[in-house]
Amino acid sequence: MGLIASVLIFFLSLKSYKLKTIDQQIFLISFLQLFFVVISFTSLIVCFIISDFSNETVFNNSHTNKPIFYKISGTWGNHEGSLLLWLLVLTLFLFLFLINSKNELKKYRVLTVTFQQVIIIGFFIFVLATSNPFNFLFPIPIEGLGLNPILQDPALAIHPPILYVGYVGSSLIFSATLAAVIENYISKDWAKNIKIWVLISWIFLTVGIMVGSIWAYYELGWGGFWFWDPVENVSLMPWFCLTALLHCVLVLEKRELLKSWTIILSIATFTLSMCGTFLVRSGVLNSVHTFANDPSRGIFILCFLFFLITISLIIFFIFNKEKQNDYIKINFFSKEVSIIVNNWFLMYFLSVVLVGTLYPIFLEVLTDHKVSVGPPFYNKLIVPFLIFFLLFMSVGPNLKWIKENDIANKFQLIAFFFISLTISSLIYLEIGKINLINTLLIAASLYLFIVTIKDFFSKELHNFPKKLSHFGFSLFILSILFNGIFSSEAIFNLKVGEKFTFKNEKIFLKSLVKKQKENYQSVIGHFTIEDDKKNISLFKPELRIYDQPIVVTSEADIKTTLFKDKFLVMNKIKGNEYFNVRYQVKPFMIWIWISTMLIAIGGFLSLYYRVYEK
Amino acid sequence: MKKLKIFLILFFILNFFSISLAEKNDQLKIKISKNLRCVVCQGQSIYDSQSDFAVSIKLLINNKIDDGLSEAEIYEFLKDKYGEWIIYDTSFNKKTFILWGLPVLLFFLGGAIILKKIVFRRT
Repeated sequence: MGLIASVLIFFLSLKSYKLKTIDQQIFLISFLQLFFVVISFTSLIVCFIISDFSNETVFNNSHTNKPIFYKISGTWGNHEGSLLLWLLVLTLFLFLFLINSKNELKKYRVLTVTFQQVIIIGFFIFVLATSNPFNFLFPIPIEGLGLNPILQDPALAIHPPILYVGYVGSSLIFSATLAAVIENYISKDWAKNIKIWVLISWIFLTVGIMVGSIWAYYELGWGGFWFWDPVENVSLMPWFCLTALLHCVLVLEKRELLKSWTIILSIATFTLSMCGTFLVRSGVLNSVHTFANDPSRGIFILCFLFFLITISLIIFFIFNKEKQNDYIKINFFSKEVSIIVNNWFLMYFLSVVLVGTLYPIFLEVLTDHKVSVGPPFYNKLIVPFLIFFLLFMSVGPNLKWIKENDIANKFQLIAFFFISLTISSLIYLEIGKINLINTLLIAASLYLFIVTIKDFFSKELHNFPKKLSHFGFSLFILSILFNGIFSSEAIFNLKVGEKFTFKNEKIFLKSLVKKQKENYQSVIGHFTIEDDKKNISLFKPELRIYDQPIVVTSEADIKTTLFKDKFLVMNKIKGNEYFNVRYQVKPFMIWIWISTMLIAIGGFLSLYYRVYEK
Repeated sequence: MKKLKIFLILFFILNFFSISLAEKNDQLKIKISKNLRCVVCQGQSIYDSQSDFAVSIKLLINNKIDDGLSEAEIYEFLKDKYGEWIIYDTSFNKKTFILWGLPVLLFFLGGAIILKKIVFRRT
């Protein structure tokens, strides 16, 4: 194992002379670099599989009787391994960039590689200095400490790699942007090329966040999927930034506007990803998702981050000469203005989340005063603006580049607006318990919903990916809203043989079944739920008592249909035979995931078209 | 159809008034406990948590409601005991005005910049 660590140091030195060399050599060395990282990553996986406890990381995070799948996923379920994964993705992306950018300026490519290498070197030092995954333990322990059972879950096994691809993708955008700034290559062509990378990281980030919240939904065991928790916010912030960038690059590609803004956004996206790593890894945050942390690591990332920001700002101010003479006329009713508005709102959402996440930390450090910034804060600040955001989102894409003067089109849009307003006020009247702002929000998202559906039918096919994503977004907001408004739940205590009546359903705890599994004991409750039409469904929520480490987790049983999820989870009450049972009916739950998938698929199709077009 | 609608509206209005006191108290209890942080857990609300601390706070809320305390009074009581940290819904005061104000300020600043750029370019 020590050998591989030394291999890591070895090609640190290799990289230093990459700067001036010609293409062929860079190519070769990058390949070597990738190769070495792959080797070390694979060997770490092998260590986990064969449970080699002479390795400290394996000792801390694995156990012999863990299923093989979680032995492998345990590789990145911990700090050291996940950093190695981070490095792997970094080098992989760089390599892919080299392969895919053959037609571009040589200087630009070399510079991109150089910046990327700065980042890679930084992370290599980080890995070797503070979190070497190959530390040797002697005497060799017989048994490992085990992986946190909450992490032993299929969704969480794939969540980190997906999210990391998203994060790391932003590093390549960062490097490429800096290179392009120096070479004065920020142009239509550049926008076309960089958009592919923006799309890739955007797709992965979207899917990564979604998988994370699916996991939170069924594993954390209280039925929510988004808690405005700092760690969640940290993944959401680069997403806002990247989404803004995605739209902004479009303007650059079509009209060569917003150059500086694109640069700032690329830098910001990467900075936020790095910030995310810092906040999560340093233990500054109090969160449901922080599993391992160590302050000394945080300081390193912070310094490195500071260093990168300084460099990028210097480069930005020295090299970026936006020609003040490009007075391209901008008309107020045009696509570019609507995209600027989109960016404006996204930046606002970003600032809400950013301030909300960081403010408590600063306040505590400065004044020793602790405040909580919880979901109400975000709801209050985001929801009112979201209404206007949705309205712009409906109208904007229907405008033309440069100038819009199609009257019929406008009339149609206004008509649709009144239709959605009517529908939502009908909903408001029928149900009554929605407050005014939610009604407006429903109206706005319905509007987007209708307008995008209309677009599917009436217009040419070439913008299909965009329409799909926008449609997905409207569906997303709608399903979250209806989910929030119409959810109902009950919490009660039951013992075997008892019944509880909730609205028109009877919940009955029939029996308990105990089972011994590979690395945990399970207690399964057999519940039947009978509705007013005498339909009986069986629920089997589970309590798991893991051996290594000893942790009790409760697994919810969820029955999903197209219209609603029924969610049942139980917990043991200390000292008696009663179980605390929580039953939730959550309408349209599955549509939240479907719509997010639609958003991501839209991105994927757009990527596909782009590569296909080439 | 129209009759049905009127009927429904009336039904819901009547329903609204006929919600019993006990049910109202239950709703209040849930609302309060959702807005409280379980200070011994990692980022869980009192409502979601099963820890001893959360259970005792839930009992405490029960008692306070039975004693006839209002929502605000209960928050005040908990704030004195455990600090402002326990309440998720951040209040607006001289320590948090930056928190509330900064994003909105940035929003208007951004709007101003955009407006200026566009107007500036047009002339």
